[in-house]
Amino acid sequence: MSNSTMHRKGPLFWILLVVVVLVVLAPIYWIVSTSVKTPTENILPTPTLFPHKFTLSNYENVIRAGIFTNFFNSLFVAAVSTTISLSISFLAAYALCRHKFPFRLNNIFLIWVLAVKILPPIVLAIPLYTLFTRAGLLNSLWGLVIVYQVYTLPYCLWIIFGFVKALPIEFEQAATIDGAGHLKILTSIVLPLTSGGIIATSIFSIIIAWNEFLFALLFIRTPSRLTLPLKIVSFIGEYETLWGELMAIGLLATLPILLFSGYVYKRLTHGFALGLR
Amino acid sequence: MTVLQRVRRDSFYYIIFAPAFLVIVFLTIYPVLSVLINSLFDYNFLSADKELIGFENFVKIIGEAIFQRAFLNTVIFSLVATTAEATLGLILALLFYGRFAGKRATMTAVIFPMMLSTMVICAIWKTMYHHDIGVLNYLIGVLGMEPVGWLTNKRVALFSVMIVDIWQWTPFAFIIIQAGLNSVPPELFEAAGIDGAGYFRTLVHVTIPVLFSQILMVFLLRTIDTFRVFDKVYALTQGGPGNATETVSYFVYREGFSFFNIGRASAASVYVLLVISIIAGAYIRRILKQEV
Amino acid sequence: MRRVMIFTVLALLIVPSMLYARGQSEPEGPEMVTLTIAGRDGAYGDAMQLAADAYSAQNPNVSFEILKLSGSSLLEQTVVDLGSGTGTYDLLMIDDPNAPRMMQAGWLADLDKLYAARGESPDPDLIANVLQLGRHPYGPDGTLYALPHVGNVELFAYRRDLAEKYGHSSAQTWSDVLAAAKDIAAGEPDVTPILFRGSKGNPIVTGFLPIYWAFGAEILVDGRPAFDTPQALNALNFFLELAAYAPEGVSMYQSAQVRDALYSGAAAIVIEVWPGWIGQLENPEVSSVVGKVSVANHPGQVEASSSLIGVWLLGIPKDSENIDTAFDFLQFITSAEVQRDIAMETGIPPTRVSVHQDAALIDKYPWYPPQLAGLQGGVARPRTDYWGEIETAFGGFLQQALIGDLTAEEALAEIQKKVEEIVR
Repeated sequence: MSNSTMHRKGPLFWILLVVVVLVVLAPIYWIVSTSVKTPTENILPTPTLFPHKFTLSNYENVIRAGIFTNFFNSLFVAAVSTTISLSISFLAAYALCRHKFPFRLNNIFLIWVLAVKILPPIVLAIPLYTLFTRAGLLNSLWGLVIVYQVYTLPYCLWIIFGFVKALPIEFEQAATIDGAGHLKILTSIVLPLTSGGIIATSIFSIIIAWNEFLFALLFIRTPSRLTLPLKIVSFIGEYETLWGELMAIGLLATLPILLFSGYVYKRLTHGFALGLR
Repeated sequence: MTVLQRVRRDSFYYIIFAPAFLVIVFLTIYPVLSVLINSLFDYNFLSADKELIGFENFVKIIGEAIFQRAFLNTVIFSLVATTAEATLGLILALLFYGRFAGKRATMTAVIFPMMLSTMVICAIWKTMYHHDIGVLNYLIGVLGMEPVGWLTNKRVALFSVMIVDIWQWTPFAFIIIQAGLNSVPPELFEAAGIDGAGYFRTLVHVTIPVLFSQILMVFLLRTIDTFRVFDKVYALTQGGPGNATETVSYFVYREGFSFFNIGRASAASVYVLLVISIIAGAYIRRILKQEV
Repeated sequence: MRRVMIFTVLALLIVPSMLYARGQSEPEGPEMVTLTIAGRDGAYGDAMQLAADAYSAQNPNVSFEILKLSGSSLLEQTVVDLGSGTGTYDLLMIDDPNAPRMMQAGWLADLDKLYAARGESPDPDLIANVLQLGRHPYGPDGTLYALPHVGNVELFAYRRDLAEKYGHSSAQTWSDVLAAAKDIAAGEPDVTPILFRGSKGNPIVTGFLPIYWAFGAEILVDGRPAFDTPQALNALNFFLELAAYAPEGVSMYQSAQVRDALYSGAAAIVIEVWPGWIGQLENPEVSSVVGKVSVANHPGQVEASSSLIGVWLLGIPKDSENIDTAFDFLQFITSAEVQRDIAMETGIPPTRVSVHQDAALIDKYPWYPPQLAGLQGGVARPRTDYWGEIETAFGGFLQQALIGDLTAEEALAEIQKKVEEIVR
């Protein structure tokens, strides 16, 4: 990477950037424009590139359908399961990097966690349903928080493991010589140095939990506890898809993640300027 | 180091490892065991008949043309989509390295697809892919070309499904690789620049080796996820046209949730597990072997 | 600094959520009964809600939790739950092809006994041909496990204005339909002459069955598959000939696309529509073809027209803790008065003879007479434990024939072979 790309961006850079942004945004433009078209315009035989009649009624309908409850359910489930996943996988990742457990447990555990992720959720669903019935965790948001660890924990564990592993051990050795305890090393050296990775991971974890569908479908039956993805599919009917409403709720549903990642990224890029020096 | 210190050190590691260990054990031992056991049974959840048949499920399934096709499709899907996502993610990370005007806004735009619900993504791509009233064929028509059967041509359909996955998940690769790139001291690249190495020399000899563990991680996690591709197939093509987009996960879904043949669904999943273990095992060995 | 930030982020995430979760406790009095219903989404969900609200107004001690799910989600949910025997649900919507297995599994309460306990019997106004779909074994003498709630039957729709324009208003047979398609193809470049659901599995099978039956072919004869007959081959060859007038992308069409094409006027002849899809056909806000479309029973060919019945049943899980209340609500929702209100408000087709004869409803839904005829004389899909597997095999190879992967002979031979394996 030469100095010129680092400090001054050439025309090639800007062309590439515009192309990338266009490719990414084209379908999103289509989502947005569908969400402000009328139902009849959305099923016209010839698609219209620009809405003929701009309307916000789709958003109105979606909000009137009472998405706030679902919204908060999702927020709760995504936030709590991410917090749990991040905390316990940070601790476990550090332990797995810095300590050799007996019986090759380190490798077995890391691989086992992935094996669970590999199995199609469908085959896990039935035994988990039985398990959760017995544990009394069915039809509860806490139950979802727990079951989502099947997805979020492997992600968090592996990614954070990668970041901890990449950390030079010298910092910790120096701190040990200075007399710092384990906890002190963990919180004041390892955590700050891997925070970039942890924050990036938090975004994935939240997205996974926020958009999960199958377990939410099977484990929740009280309408007031349904999460957002279940509400979203209710706009995809077998006989008719409410295109405008579907796209409107799809966009509204991304708002919290967008805000969260925006906030995190602002801090992240800001922090990186200081770098790891 | 005295014995006492060693015990104290060890107990600390055990304590911080315990929560994750317990959660995983609670959630997975029973389900995974039941998958392994059920794969040996002729077991239909609806009739509740359960008969031990040994490896008959495995033998039968692998002889079925639709399963073979599904497996081949899954491997192609996984390889192509993962490679494309990792490559594009790397390119994006390099593109977004350093500072420039509008960086935050463009970056947010680029990672936006990942945040959307898969259902919404599939719904919108399905309308765009629509043969007769889709915007893609409309644009192609404006350019004077013949319409493409994005989801209806058996040679194109699998790639159309892939494009959706690549569009949705390249941001994932981008974020991971970018996080890796940002934790490398810039001096490293500057030093290479001063040594007179050109952009691509630096890329091949400095940048990619430095990012190796992140790239490997992307390959590992995306391979696993793409190997399970289900929701996109379900929403976009239902496995058609013909068997062009059948995947193993869709096969498992149909056996498990449409027919409730838990025995066959479990056996098919065990195949997935075996193959993925071989592929992912290679990555895992590299990752675990990498000494700091 | 980084640490502070992480903690801030976590706190921001978790504190409001915790507060929210704590506010989640439910008020539940002891004398209250809550009926939990697993039902369908869309207009079906509206219909269920309407009946539930009306019932709660009369019985303030009964409240409802209604799950509104897509067809496949509903099946997954209910089977997983019924198999676990948790008694979560008090009332289920069941698609009739799935009913034999659920009744066979012994998961549903015996409605004959519940009727007997009340000293009543099923109202003869419920269409007899449809009522027996809720009996097991199938037939007038089986034990009753479910009542028909939605009277869906496959119908045939065409643009009357175009049929008249090209002199095909009296199409009686499938051959006439093909002739009409040819003329419309020649004269109307912007209109799709023929449309059906070409999607793999259930949709394409349902689209094909009226033709299959009209040509005298059968699916199962005495429990054995009968796809290797000359009738089946004629039917498939005809279907492929007709499909040449369907749009290029027809193998992707599902009900939503077919319905959109019908409403927007893009399709001239739709070989299968269901009453549940077309409730808004005469509503100018959604439909561009008000007054232009005829909805009728299917044409015949070597056999007279026979409509495919596909009703939604309502059954009570035997593990339910509120069987009596559920049964009372079941009586309520299948009563003539409530069916009429549901039909009027949501377009969901009724299962009673008298409701089909309501003048105001016929005025709003002109296809009620053929719908009633279809329900009274139509045929359901074969009563077998393996319908799901058969339909998947049938639909898979059928689509391969449609897209030219297999010839008609090859496709039927493959279907025959696969279905033999399935029913063995």
